Amino acid sequence: MRRVFIWPAAAIGAAALVTFPYWTAEWESSRFATTVLRDILVFAIFALSLDLLVGRGGMPSLGHAAFFGAGAYAAGVATQRLGTDQLPLTLGAAALVAAALALLIGTLVVRSEGIFFLMLTLAFAQIVFAIAFQWTSVTGGSNGLAGIARPFLGGIDLNPPDRMYVLVSATFLAVVLLVRAVAGSPYGRVLVGIRENERRMRALGYDTARIRLSAFVLAGSIAGIAGALSAYSLRFVSAQDVGIGTSIRAFVMVLVGGAGTLAGPVIGAAVVLYVERILSSAVPVAETVLGLLFVAFVLLARQGIVGIGGAAWARMRR
Amino acid sequence: MSSELLFQQALNGLSFGALLFILAAGLSLVFGMMDVVNLAHGAFYMLGAYLALSVVQLTGSFWVAMLAAPLALGLLGLILEPLLLRRLRGRHLDQVLLTIGVSLIVVDQIGVVWGREVRSLAAPAGLDGSVALFGGDYPAYRLFVIGLGIALAAVVTLVYRRTALGMHIRAGVEDAQMLGALGVDIDRLFALTFAAGAALAGLAGVVAAPVFGLQPGMDVDALLYSLVVVVVGGLGTLGGAVVGSVLIGPADTFGKVLFQEFALAVIFAIVALVLLLRPTGLLGRIRIAR
Repeated sequence: MRRVFIWPAAAIGAAALVTFPYWTAEWESSRFATTVLRDILVFAIFALSLDLLVGRGGMPSLGHAAFFGAGAYAAGVATQRLGTDQLPLTLGAAALVAAALALLIGTLVVRSEGIFFLMLTLAFAQIVFAIAFQWTSVTGGSNGLAGIARPFLGGIDLNPPDRMYVLVSATFLAVVLLVRAVAGSPYGRVLVGIRENERRMRALGYDTARIRLSAFVLAGSIAGIAGALSAYSLRFVSAQDVGIGTSIRAFVMVLVGGAGTLAGPVIGAAVVLYVERILSSAVPVAETVLGLLFVAFVLLARQGIVGIGGAAWARMRR
Repeated sequence: MSSELLFQQALNGLSFGALLFILAAGLSLVFGMMDVVNLAHGAFYMLGAYLALSVVQLTGSFWVAMLAAPLALGLLGLILEPLLLRRLRGRHLDQVLLTIGVSLIVVDQIGVVWGREVRSLAAPAGLDGSVALFGGDYPAYRLFVIGLGIALAAVVTLVYRRTALGMHIRAGVEDAQMLGALGVDIDRLFALTFAAGAALAGLAGVVAAPVFGLQPGMDVDALLYSLVVVVVGGLGTLGGAVVGSVLIGPADTFGKVLFQEFALAVIFAIVALVLLLRPTGLLGRIRIAR
């Protein structure tokens, strides 16, 4: 009975999200809200891709920014140096470059677990960062790539902020549907099975290393798309996009929101960007606030905001 | 490359290796005992360097700083372990995650207290000159770092092999739970181990400051290199830290000379090779990868 209403409600919500800048056009702060929402959605895509690893696959990656950054640089370089401005090409290039990098790093890390996985992803991503930082002729080094032109989709110029927002929010919805489909598929179940008991899944005949690697590459390419969207949104790519700070932010988002859920990473992205953008103008120590938040959630509420909310909801209904 | 330059770079590599040993020994010790990869290790290193800066400004003595900063870091470790890590004992991944939060806070607070611009610390008087070696001039301070690294390795080995504390540490690395069942106060041992790890990171920070300076981001560099050293050498063993740093120090130095901006690709290749061929690290017993 209730399930009947879920799809229409979701469709209306999705439509409202994508058209946000148009129906809020009258608001005084519509432009600002659109920008903040756009940045939240870019990071929500990134966090959703990380949660495929952390939440579903039990692979705590602390190097996911490598793929975000690879996508951002790929989009930036494709637009600035290769002279193409067609979105499918540049976005495809971003996903492809990120996937190739994920294949390289993934091959080396998927055979390890837990803290070792975390340690290795961190180390490899930091090496990627150092190369991006120093390979000035391609990446612009510490200056980054500035003034990246926004692409075209066929004949539609995506340069106006409202259209850029529509691109980001539509991509976000597509990624939500994709992650939902993956999580619900037999493949997603196997992934969770590997998280819970890797040896048993191997005994059942699954090639666990290959399944983990495929998840790593999928998550990497989605992160690359998020990176490309970030490059177009901010019209800027910096080495920080590849750095450990970006990896940690995504991890905080997943953990604070709630790992292994669809809503968790999205809520986490909103909370972290709120702390960074809005709170940091009030208190100059946003990083400290993030750190405290992270410590508190690890110590007290490992299941994240979604978990707390779910528990409260269950208690209310009893 | 001329033989003179070769020799100089070899010494550079060795002094970097010695520094890496001081840094990685603490990380490896904490891991061996507690199964925790302390991701705040780089932040502790950074804090050690900045504390040294203030102590030198206050007392004018580098040597006082070299004593005071590790002590302060040890104290911090002694507080943090019972306060935070102990609550999560047995949940290794959560403990590691917790150390990320700690490092965010520490690094941000360093920025608040000392500012975010690049600072430098002079080498102590007497070591700020250079020494003539094999027809070239070589900075005396770097030779001192090599000596310190070797001396520390000797002292730590002695503590490991010849003292009751060392015996407890070796037993704890083997099986901490069993050690507790035998009546050793594990809580105290863990707190002391974590403190010792933090103190070693702090010491590395002080020693590195005159060579590399002080700047934002130094924590991440230190963390990266110490992780690479323990992965290559082998986690949790002292010999692993020695072998890893003696290998990575010169490899990084020569990589920078030969490949410039792709020096870290050399490190990447080494780590990748070790993982594929010897997943325990060169001297470790714990398999990092299957």
